Amino acid sequence: MSEQQQQSATAVAKKTPTDFLNHILGRRVFVRLNSGIDYRGVLACLDGYMNIALEQTEEYVDGELRNRYGDAFIRGNNVLYISTA
Amino acid sequence: MTDVASANAAAAAGPTSSFSMVEEPLDLVRLSLDERIYVKLRGDRELRGRLHAYDQHLNMVLGEVEETITIVDVDEESNTQSVRTVNRKVPMLFVRGDGVILVSPPSRAS
Repeated sequence: MSEQQQQSATAVAKKTPTDFLNHILGRRVFVRLNSGIDYRGVLACLDGYMNIALEQTEEYVDGELRNRYGDAFIRGNNVLYISTA
Repeated sequence: MTDVASANAAAAAGPTSSFSMVEEPLDLVRLSLDERIYVKLRGDRELRGRLHAYDQHLNMVLGEVEETITIVDVDEESNTQSVRTVNRKVPMLFVRGDGVILVSPPSRAS
């Protein structure tokens, strides 16, 4: 597939998962952990372990808001997925 | 844009940007040294304590720790659940990193 085709296929035309993650830095994201707990917040940064720094973090358990954190470090091994909010 | 996000934009602009304070997630932990932090652990355990040391695994040494354990009791006769918490204090604690889910620094003005 040519690069142009790829670009038309999706608005986020990036080649690797890491490119996607770098692309969404500073955006509001939704992080789900293996335990099922969800976090919403602004993606401040992340590293190769998928450790995540979130700002204005909201913690949801069973879809209900449980906690707020100004900043939050999430250890990468717990992460199931990251999506844009 | 908040401080960390703008610092991060600076980091994206160039690795030599001198005013970018948080370039990687562990910087958030580094900035919390000698501060009281909140740690969420596996097994429904939470810790609040002063961060004396940490490493790349998130092994941590915490002082003046308060541990909160959340226990869900199931009454088999009525089939109802009740949640209770147990608190205990520990003067000094080594936490193995693999049990850590989340670390939150003391809330700064943001």
